[in-house]
This record gives sequence, structure tokens and C-alpha cells, in this order.
Amino acid sequence: MHRQSTTRSNGIDRRSVLAAGVAGLATATSGCIDRVESAVGQETDRLSLSITTVPADGDREAVRIARHLEEHLEAVGIDASLDMRSRSNFLEAVLIDHEFDLYVGRHPADYDPDFLYETLHSAYANESGWQNPLGFSSMPVDGHLEAQRRVDGERRRERIATLLEGLAEEKPFDPICFPEEHRVVRTDRVDGWNADHPESRHGYLGLEPSEDVDRLRVLVTDARISRNLNPLSATLREQGSTINLLYDSLATEHDGELVPWLAEDWETTTIEETEDDDAITRATVTLREDCEFHDDEPVTADDVAFTYRFLEDTALGRAEFTSPAPRYRSHVSTLEDVTVESDRELRLEFSAGFEAAERALTVPVLPEHRWREQVDARAETTETFTAMQGQWGLVTMDNVPAVGSGPFRFESRSEREHLTLERYDDHFTRREDVDLPSVEIEQLQFGIDPGSASSIERVANDGADLTASMLEAHALDTIPDEPEIDHLESPSQTFYHVGFNARIEPFSNPHARRLVAGLLDKAWLVEEVFDGHATPTATPLPEEWVPERLTWDGDDPITPFFGSDGDLDVEAARDAFEDTGYRYDDHGRLRL
Amino acid sequence: MLVQVLLQLAVVVTLLTLAGIAVIVGRYRLRDTRREWASRLRAATPITVVLIVVLLGNGVARQVVPDLSWMFGWNLTWAIYDIEGQFILWLQSFETSALTAFFSFVYIYGYVFLLVFPVVAYFALSNTRPLRELLTAYTLNYVLGLVLYTLVIAYGPRNMMPELVEALMYDTYPRYQHLTRQVNRNTNVFPSLHTSLAATVGILAYQTRAVYPRWAVVAVPLAISVAISTMYLGIHWAIDVVAGIVLAYVCVELAGLLVGRWSVTERFDVGNPLSRLR
Repeated sequence: MHRQSTTRSNGIDRRSVLAAGVAGLATATSGCIDRVESAVGQETDRLSLSITTVPADGDREAVRIARHLEEHLEAVGIDASLDMRSRSNFLEAVLIDHEFDLYVGRHPADYDPDFLYETLHSAYANESGWQNPLGFSSMPVDGHLEAQRRVDGERRRERIATLLEGLAEEKPFDPICFPEEHRVVRTDRVDGWNADHPESRHGYLGLEPSEDVDRLRVLVTDARISRNLNPLSATLREQGSTINLLYDSLATEHDGELVPWLAEDWETTTIEETEDDDAITRATVTLREDCEFHDDEPVTADDVAFTYRFLEDTALGRAEFTSPAPRYRSHVSTLEDVTVESDRELRLEFSAGFEAAERALTVPVLPEHRWREQVDARAETTETFTAMQGQWGLVTMDNVPAVGSGPFRFESRSEREHLTLERYDDHFTRREDVDLPSVEIEQLQFGIDPGSASSIERVANDGADLTASMLEAHALDTIPDEPEIDHLESPSQTFYHVGFNARIEPFSNPHARRLVAGLLDKAWLVEEVFDGHATPTATPLPEEWVPERLTWDGDDPITPFFGSDGDLDVEAARDAFEDTGYRYDDHGRLRL
Repeated sequence: MLVQVLLQLAVVVTLLTLAGIAVIVGRYRLRDTRREWASRLRAATPITVVLIVVLLGNGVARQVVPDLSWMFGWNLTWAIYDIEGQFILWLQSFETSALTAFFSFVYIYGYVFLLVFPVVAYFALSNTRPLRELLTAYTLNYVLGLVLYTLVIAYGPRNMMPELVEALMYDTYPRYQHLTRQVNRNTNVFPSLHTSLAATVGILAYQTRAVYPRWAVVAVPLAISVAISTMYLGIHWAIDVVAGIVLAYVCVELAGLLVGRWSVTERFDVGNPLSRLR
């Protein structure tokens, strides 16, 4: 590997790093404390940054990107370090506590570009959760985020192009690449595998188990699935995964569009934005007949209405301040009014075009009788009920056993060992008159496996049927070429990125964010770290949304890498820092 | 998969131990053992009970310790890497597939044999003191190790430099990861308990070299190989290994002080090992 060449060029540098390291040993060395320490310690005015990420067991690619960045930050005279945390701790630091300078991670994104509203709108800068963890605020970007919601079709596409251009200039975060999703399955026990993503609701529909097979053995490399089933938890999962199996939503995304799920049907009428008016979308939603939650209580329009109210304020108005959920924040933010017409029918009114509005149909429908009871119990036991936003008991509890209305119900779990779900026989997908493939397999057992290589080996040795977690690029060569083993491949909407904490120096300044973006050689990372199993990108949205000016042309069109083939041109990079107003001391260290 | 690995481990270690009994322990000691086993067992029972309690407690504590550590432990990964990251790379530069196979074998099978065999060998001695010291030292290793694991969060080299640590055992032999994750969490690398337990056996083997000269010749190099394997395989940093050796030394010294002082016949307080330290 040729990794060194550009870093820690002189001895003085190395020694001071060592000294800082030893000093660090004596005290706690979490990222931010480190920064404060060096600010008050000997290296008074040296710029010092800590990169938060997960260890290789959590995401091998992320830690390699982080070290690539760390080397290049050091090379331009910044005192850089890595702050490695477990997956849930990483999300805690980034999403809840906002305790980071910059981080490397993978964003779950969503089927619709409106997830950017949640990620970046300044209205959410002070909340905890997936809503604006970066503390980013920009009036022009807010304007673009709002504008794309008010229109549909081609007009929306144009506005999203403008939004992407704004983001590429301001760089609230720097998208690196879209990884490919690889999985392996055994086809001899269970067949009927199609292209559906196992994280989606259609993932386990229509599978055809052999006669004596009643359990699908699924492997996941993330133990959090066995610890928490709370649909609102921000830190215990990135994507929906098991929540999609346990809970239903009114509609669900399939092949890029929304299709009816718990709702039998819905009708929308949209009055698009006129000169001075907001767009309005009205939807009439009809639920399927006779659906029940896993505790035999009926699913009614009231539960849907409750879910919307609850996501907006998990304290249901009983606390001093509202406490919006740390997830699904922007899904429900266009919703202006909910009217329950009957047990099965409700009318919704949104201040948006239908594309952005319809995201509200994809949130999990929660049983009112269980969650209201939880809120009441918690409100009554404490004298001053605060319900701290994004962090209070209700949004962090493990919610085991989870009670939803989805195609699978909770059966058992053992922490860090497995989570087992069983088929919910009363689910509407099992009905004759519902035009959806039905669930044939009786049980889904998610076994926790230590890594990609060992899960592939287990599937190969008939110890499991499917690797549900995305396999890491380095392990892909070990997939055996055997007739009963299929290799599934699909593009990902998720993207690796570097996030900047815009709340604090130096990344409150967009120029600093752009300079650091120029230290990343995305093309090289895709080749070296992902073995080519990823697509480099300058934008957080896939190709179909990207305007001409931002298309990938071998390098980032806005913030190209200072150098080539992974080798940083230190002179050029340092010049760029100086041109932006940063100063170096006699030892070549970047001053704060 | 786990069952398969465990079975394999049991077979290999049993075979090694039988060979060890034949070559190292010898016929005469076995003959005496058949006569005296009851009294020796009685002498070793209290510390064995304590050790079992500690091991069971350890199993429970391991579920809680990582969460506690994240709350108030020190995350030292970066500090350790910054000081000695280059050393592991240097060690890795000697990587060959034969060495990887050898060190993987030592890390799994050699290590378990190293811990199991001396229990059998010292049990075959009329003097039960070495056996009691050994079991006491094991107990202390687990207790002190757990305290350090709670105070320090650190990820090993393989988690920091997955691309440079080329001889990753878990890439070459992924099945072993099923075994190791049963006994360890990836944030618990400081100190290396593999090293400290191996070094404990090594030091005691050296101390009993008059009785078991052949064992000393086997145990000391094997203990050193275990220590090197943890670094070569990218599981531990050199600092973890040094800390492991220090821990081993402390445990052996303490065991020497403690054994015989609290005899069950004099005091009924078998106590937990923590109270013994006071």
C-alpha cells in the first residue's frame, strides 16, 4: 500500500504529535475534550480537529475514509485525530449530542429527495435526531428546500437541481460515493428471491420455502437489531429494516414509487403553488378492512391520526415544550390538518405538492392504545414532565416486544445473538383478494454474525440462507461460485459522506468546509477502499436528479482534489488554505 | 459454526494435553495422583470455587461493562495509535501465509492448551501450592482485567487499520470470530488478557522449572508466541501486550503473597478476591 508519502513530513511535527498523544493518555480523550485541551494547553493556537467514525467492525470503509482524511489534514498542518465509537455511540455523538468536529458515515437517505429538508433545514438546527445534525443554516438553502416542496414533476426537478448546486457550493457535508449493495442467498431451501431489497416491505414477500422449511435464517452484522425495536430510536438503526416488517405504513415504496400498503387506496388533489400562494395537497385515505395489531386490537383511522400527532410531539402536549420525534421529522412537517372521517377513512391536508406530501404516508402506523398509555405513565410519575426532545425515555426505550400490525410479529430475541420474528397470519398480505405476494415463510430468524467474511462462509456452509446486511467490499471475493448460492446486487440510495459541525469553528465557515472537501480524493477512495464497488459523487442524490454542472467527470466538479491518485499536492493545498485567510506558523502548523 | 469450532478446539486441546501428560508429567506422578487426588482436590477447592464465581460474574459483567465504559471510560484508541501505530505495521511487514497460519493456531489452540495444561500438571504434584497459586493468579487476572476494561475503551489495530493489518485472522479464518466474540468485546483490548494469562503461565512455569523442566521449555516460548500472535494478527497493540505482561507479573506476585495466608481451615472466609486484596 502506498499511503504515507504526504503526511507528517518533518520530525518536529511528529514529536509534537507524540507529545500531544502522551498528554492525551493522561486524561480523557474524547474528541471534543481533546480540542479544548489543545486550545488551552501548549499548542495554544494550532487548529485541531477530531474525526468521529466507527471502527472497522462497524464499517471498514468508513474508518479507511477517515484515515485518508486524517492523513491529509495532518499534511496541511492541522492536528487531526480519530474518535472511534461504536455504531450507536457514533450516532449518539452526531445526532443527539452534536459532539463532533467532523465525521465520516453513511447516510440512509430516502426514496424521495425531500429527506434533504430534514437533514439541512435551519428550523431543525437545535433539535436532536436525524433532523439537521450538522447545525447547518443558510437562508438560500432553506429557500431551495422549501421551494422544491411546493411543486411537482419537471418544475420540482429544476428546483432540486438548484438546491443541489447550492449544496455543492456551501458543502454542509461532502458526499463521497454511493456504495453497491451486495448480498448472498442460498436458493436450495428457499427460492423466489427477486430484486426487492431486504430492507423494504416487499423484501420477504413471495418467497417460496421448500416443503420442510419453516424458518428463514437471515444474518445481520449489526447487533443493535437485537437490542432495540423502537421505531423512533435515532441511534439504534440507520434504516427501517425490521421496523418495516413489524409495522405497516399507509403506503410503501416499491420500484421507485409509492404503492398502497395498509391503505387500500388514496386520492390526492393538488393545487400547485400560484403567484403568492402555497401549494395545497388534499388526500383522502381509505384503510384496508379489518386490520388488526399484533395484540388483536383493530387498526383504525384514529391510530393513523394519533401517529401524526405523536411524531410532531411525542409528549402529546403534556410537557412544557413540544418534543418532536428524532425520526420522521420532515415526513410529517407538511401536514397541516388531519380529519378522521370514519374508522377506515381520513382526510389529510398538506402545504406541499403531492410528491413531498406523500412521504407522510410512509411513516410506521403506531397503535394509539399502547403509546398513549406510555406517555401517560411517564407524565404521571414525574412531577416536572420535560420529555427532553430526542432523548427522553419514550424515544429511547427498547420497545420489546414491539406491537405493530406488520406482516411479522415479535417472537423472541437474545441480545447480541438473535431476533426472531414470526409470520402474522392475520396480515392483509395473506388475503386472497389482496393483490400482493403473500408471506409463506413462517419464521424469520435474524442471527447476529461478527462480519461480512464470516457471514458469507456461513451461507456457503448452509448455516444460513441470506446475508441481509450490506456486505463489505473487501469480502466480496470470498463469495463462492456455486449453483445454490446467488449473489444479489443492487444500487444503494445510501451514501458515504463527511459531515461538518457548522455550530463551531472552523466549520461554521463554508470556506473551511470546501477546503477540507478538497482533501478527499473520492475517485481514489472508490478504487482503493471500495475496490470499485461504489460510484463517486458530488451530490447526495442519484444521477437522475443531478444537473449537468454537477455530474461526475472523474473528479468533483466544484471542489476537486488537491492532487491525484490519492497523493495530496501539499503545496497546492496549503496555498489554498493561505489564500482563504489561514496562516501558518514557523513549523508549518495551521493556526486557529 | 460455533459448535463446530468448539468441538475442534476441544479435540485438539485434549490431544495436546494427553501428549503433555505423557511427556511432561510422567507415570510416577500419575500413580501418586491416583492415591492422593482427594486431598489435593480439597486443598484446591476454595480457590476453584472463587475462580468459577469470578468467571461466571465476568460473563454477566461483560454485558454491562461496554455500556459503563462508554459512559465514563477513557477512549484511548487514538492516543495508543498515535504513539505506536508504526510498530504494528513493522511487525506486519514480516507477514507470510505460513506465519499467519502458525500464529492463528497459537492464538486459538496454543493459548487454550497453555491455560489448561498447567492445571493438570500442577494437580499431579503432591505440593498443591503451585496449583493454588496458578488458580489464584487466573482469578486475579480476570478481576483486574475487568476493572481495566471498564476504565479504558480502546479498539485494536484491526479496527483502526483494516487495510494495513494484512494478516487478519478473521479474514483468513472468519469462523474463529464466532469463538472469540463469545469471550471478548471489540472495545476490550487494553490490557491484552491473552498476553497476561499466557505470561502468568510462563512466569509460573519458570518458577517451577525445577519440578517441570520440560514444561518450562514448552511454556515460555509458547507464552511469548501468544503475545506476539495478538499483535501480528492485529488484535492488540504493543501497549496492550506490555500492560498484559505487567498485569501478569502483578498477579503472580499477589498470588504468591495470598496463597497460604488465607487457609480455609483457619478462616472460613473464602471471600471474594477483591476483599483478599485489601
